[in-house]
Amino acid sequence: MLLQYSTTLTFVALAAIFAYSFYAVLVAGQLSLGQAGFASLAAFSAVSLAPDPDAVGDVPALLSAVVVGMAVGALAALVLGLPTMHLRGVFLAIATLGFGEAVRVILLNQEWTGGAQGLPVPRVVTLGMAWTAAVLVAYWFWRMGSSRYGRALEAIREDELAARAMGIDVGRHRLSAFVTAGAVAGLYGVLLAYYIRLIVPGDFGFTAAVEGLVTAVLGGSTMFLGPLLGSGFQTMIPEVQRAVGIEAGWIRPFLSGLLLLVVILFLPGGLASLIPRRNRLPALGGDDRRPDLGGVRQHPPAGETVVSATGLSKEYGGVHAVQDVDLEIRSGEVVGLIGPNGAGKTTLVNMLTGLVPPSAGRATVLGVPIGTTPVHRVTAAGVSRTFQHSKLFARLSALENVLVGGHLANRPTFLRRLVWLPSARRDERAALERAARCLHRVGLAEKAGTRASALSYGDQRRLEIARALAADPTLLVLDEPAAGMNHVEAEALSALIRSLAADGLTILFIEHNVGMVLRTCSRIVVLDFGEVLATGTPEEIAANPAVIDAYLGAEEADDVHGGAAAAAGSRPAGDGGTADPVTETRPSRAGTLDPPDATGPTARDVT
Amino acid sequence: MRTKSTTVAMATATVLALAACGSGDGGGGGQAAAEGLTGEGTGADCTIDQPVPLAAVLSLTGAAASYGRSQQQGLELALAELNEQGGVTYDLTIEDDETDPRQSITLFDQFTGQDPVSLIIGPTLSNAAVQADPIAQDAGVPVLGISNTAEGVTEIGDFIFRNSLTEQAVIPQTIAAAKEEYGLQRVVVMYSNDDAFTESGYEAFAAALKDEGIEVAETLTFSKSDTDFRALLTQAQAANPDAVVVSALIEAAIPLVTQARQVGIDVPIIGGNGFNNPQLMAEAGEAAEGVVVGAAWNSASDNPENQEFLQAFEAEYGSQPDQFAAQAYAGLKLVDQAVRAGCSAAAEDLQQALGDLQGVPTVLGEFSIDENRNADHPATVQIVQDGRFAVLQ
Repeated sequence: MLLQYSTTLTFVALAAIFAYSFYAVLVAGQLSLGQAGFASLAAFSAVSLAPDPDAVGDVPALLSAVVVGMAVGALAALVLGLPTMHLRGVFLAIATLGFGEAVRVILLNQEWTGGAQGLPVPRVVTLGMAWTAAVLVAYWFWRMGSSRYGRALEAIREDELAARAMGIDVGRHRLSAFVTAGAVAGLYGVLLAYYIRLIVPGDFGFTAAVEGLVTAVLGGSTMFLGPLLGSGFQTMIPEVQRAVGIEAGWIRPFLSGLLLLVVILFLPGGLASLIPRRNRLPALGGDDRRPDLGGVRQHPPAGETVVSATGLSKEYGGVHAVQDVDLEIRSGEVVGLIGPNGAGKTTLVNMLTGLVPPSAGRATVLGVPIGTTPVHRVTAAGVSRTFQHSKLFARLSALENVLVGGHLANRPTFLRRLVWLPSARRDERAALERAARCLHRVGLAEKAGTRASALSYGDQRRLEIARALAADPTLLVLDEPAAGMNHVEAEALSALIRSLAADGLTILFIEHNVGMVLRTCSRIVVLDFGEVLATGTPEEIAANPAVIDAYLGAEEADDVHGGAAAAAGSRPAGDGGTADPVTETRPSRAGTLDPPDATGPTARDVT
Repeated sequence: MRTKSTTVAMATATVLALAACGSGDGGGGGQAAAEGLTGEGTGADCTIDQPVPLAAVLSLTGAAASYGRSQQQGLELALAELNEQGGVTYDLTIEDDETDPRQSITLFDQFTGQDPVSLIIGPTLSNAAVQADPIAQDAGVPVLGISNTAEGVTEIGDFIFRNSLTEQAVIPQTIAAAKEEYGLQRVVVMYSNDDAFTESGYEAFAAALKDEGIEVAETLTFSKSDTDFRALLTQAQAANPDAVVVSALIEAAIPLVTQARQVGIDVPIIGGNGFNNPQLMAEAGEAAEGVVVGAAWNSASDNPENQEFLQAFEAEYGSQPDQFAAQAYAGLKLVDQAVRAGCSAAAEDLQQALGDLQGVPTVLGEFSIDENRNADHPATVQIVQDGRFAVLQ
């Protein structure tokens, strides 16, 4: 029965391979339309260079053509990828589209390709060969899926900046995904050539590229079976229409278009989203509330310098976001960074974590010079961070988020997974275990399988911390971790931070909840207008008139006053003692301090 | 692991299920069909009880849709006439290959496998013919190409025939006639180099010009999707040629001719098969006057078959037929001739009978199949005069 439909089934396999070449980059969030060009180059080179099947036999001829084709495809992708990998979204699509068009025009004007009339090719490919190739490609992407490499690509797709901060070398990963796409497209080009008997440059044009993209997106670009499903669907539509007797003509493409629209509308994740995604639950013995993180990194002895910055400045078009900051953080410290909005806290942290190069000044973090070192190297040195606006990998589960966080702490497993080496399994299990410990530590163990985007705001903040912990950091940088938390959650967070410090981590955190900062930190740095206004122990800061003064002009005046006053023990009487420093924000409770709405010169003068 | 194998199994099942419902229930009819396909009597008296199954694979949508639709009209007109005639009736399935070689291949597979037919007409494009015809050759189903002009199509095998003259057959006559008429010595050649048909037309032009000893001052190329030729035409004019020779599809031919006259080229424009379309006069109007077109079909021919065809076509569709419609019309009539000759629509008999076609009066003129299974009939050189094609005398 199968043989009767062998042509159609062969085309399903071929179209699936082509769709996989789009999947290879879509999985990393890249929109490329150059695959038709890779396939074209590969097909023409392979047919020209490979031996004649009549002379050496079908299979050896095809195999050598496949080797040539995949090599040409990969090489073309590498050459195109090097200058274009920094392009994003539609810009990459346009650049690669231009490449495809250039390839088409060049091949049209070459003698050896037969120009517009194309190159005749003997038919060698059979149904079995096409499916063997398709299954091998699918296998590749299946094994890639839950490897460290596969997760890194997914992380890049979800949030490139966060992926970079997790220590993922985004450029290299994107390029390798692109080269994979080139090789797979090359495989498709060769197989197609040896099946349809004649290759013409025009058959690898814009339409072909769009068709491949549509097949991949329709099938779903987050699950390895997507391209196969998409290809089955797309290839079958004409067959089904013929079978049900829809008359040939415009009505058919119209119906195909309509069907495509319906599928995309109702299944935006593609056909593969119908297949439930597996949620691996981490197995961790016991329900220890403070499990060991299982880190292996040797933290520097307490008191040793972790961060040292001198004259650090950042200027954005004449605006001095950070100006001449000297900062020293020692191992084991919990340093709070406070200051009004726009004081330059996040900019300072971005510089220290390597995301933003300083305009002037020097800084060394864990022995790594800042400004010249790529982010993933800074991360590798032991710096891990969360973001002010949570930058989770939204479509990945909480567990997967944490697994990505452990990118640097885990070993690469993809190639070993391809051949089922037991060591890969062990490494994956170790990574899972570490991730599970991190989730337990922040109290999110039960939500391991939940998509990050489906978590509550407070849980998202905690997940970010778990993800940062998974990297086994020495210096943990938290950018407003308590934002959006209620006071119970903030209290738990404060306890968590102190416990982490007790484990030997050094922590730098930005927080507007001054009460929490005062109770959590061993030292506080106050920034204002990009400059260090004050630094000292919580008691010193709470009593520092300059700090109180600076906060008066800012929106968070109430926050600071209430918090600072409370923590300094100047809580006014008559409140029944119920006021928690964390929630102590109402001006009426600010006691002797001026109400925060009385801003301006008068208020400043009074204090 | 369990989950994984389940998903794989599910996917496989989905694909197979789709395959099953996609292909319908066409299989198994091959034997039965072949048995009832021989009849009694010969020629006009031939009677075959069962309708003769035929298929046409045309490009009804996609890039080549304009040709495919003309062909569909020609075929449907001929089919209606033949089925009215009686004795032998035809069950013609016209299918769309979407100008996609994968569809042509799939359709040829279908018509030689699941839904077997006595003969396949088409496909529209030569590329598709090179890709799909081998399937019919392997299955022993005759193919009649009605618009394939590329070299080598019939070399695929002894089941592959065509009634379309190649550019190589038409163009030398065109150049010879034009040289005689205008005393050509020096020409500019323009062609779209990204289309198989126009490129092979160019090769034929180049060879013919060389044979006739006409100097090619310049060869200019463009894309089949171009619509603005002014820069190229200015360049052509600067070469001061005796004529401009163009190998282009009708979509490019119309703006090219119009703009040529606008930039002041008033020497003759000589076109290939692609120009042989009434759209040229309809859309280029005055500018088309004096365009010389080498063609496989002489639309102005006064042979009775052609006159009858022109009237019937006009009555049915309200427009003038083009060469694609004429060749399609002639193609089905030729198939009928071949079926009636042996009073059999069995593949082998039909193959034999097609090869034996000699001197059949058709809209294309007196038609024969030569020893290479190619068409042999008079080509014609036409010139546009007063908005119509006239034979260049």
